[in-house]
Amino acid sequence: MELREFFNEDVIKLELAGDTKDDILKELISLLQLPGKSEGILFKMLKRRENLGSTGIGRGIAIPHCRSLVVNRLRVAFGRKPKAIDFKAIDEKPVSFFFLIVAPPLEVSNQYLPVLGRIAQLCREQDVPERLSALETPAEFLELLGDKQV
Amino acid sequence: MHPQLEILLELQDLKAQKREMEEAAEEHSREIESEVFQVKPEDAVLHLEEKISEMEEALEPEVLKRYRLVSGRRPRAVVPVLSGMCYGCFMDLPTSMSKTNDEIRWCEHCGSFVYFVA
Repeated sequence: MELREFFNEDVIKLELAGDTKDDILKELISLLQLPGKSEGILFKMLKRRENLGSTGIGRGIAIPHCRSLVVNRLRVAFGRKPKAIDFKAIDEKPVSFFFLIVAPPLEVSNQYLPVLGRIAQLCREQDVPERLSALETPAEFLELLGDKQV
Repeated sequence: MHPQLEILLELQDLKAQKREMEEAAEEHSREIESEVFQVKPEDAVLHLEEKISEMEEALEPEVLKRYRLVSGRRPRAVVPVLSGMCYGCFMDLPTSMSKTNDEIRWCEHCGSFVYFVA
């Protein structure tokens, strides 16, 4: 299993418009193209997870994640906000890169934790923030995942 | 979506989040939460328990009664329906059952509340 398998160009947005944590979460959720009510429920769950502690892990990266019944399989998205925003990250620095992960509570293939772990592993690599900044197209994001082989 | 079903869904999601934090078997999850996100699972569980109690109070008496009954005997009181199948007991639901979430409904086999995933 590699991260590249879970992403496609439709769930990648390199110019997020939102200026607040809530706006960014909503924008990331919208990439999943869920029905309206489901988006609202998912937003509440992600907010609840953020209330336990920010998913901003430092170096300009956040990984909002949760399990929710509103999805029927593991879903991921990536967004970049060129002008970083305050996300209450662990290192207190603003955040530009957002990896969203959502999985159903019951998951036959049990991919949620491995995918979360692999994204965390990717984000620890020294050159990743710089390479995410330099992306010009969603295809380049997919290439980056392929290069990293995580 | 029926407002009570929305609360039930949120409750189920909160319970999933709580389970994620507390299950000793999921050491990997605890490691990620505490090392990568610097969240103390024990504190998170307490916080989630409070939220769950708070939300249970928002359920109507009849819904709460069934919710408690099903929660007492099954791991999940609210389950998705995919391709007409209840994911609580993996039995087919009657084809006559409308596939919307505008009403509160439950599986006639296992009693779990059902949610139709779009």
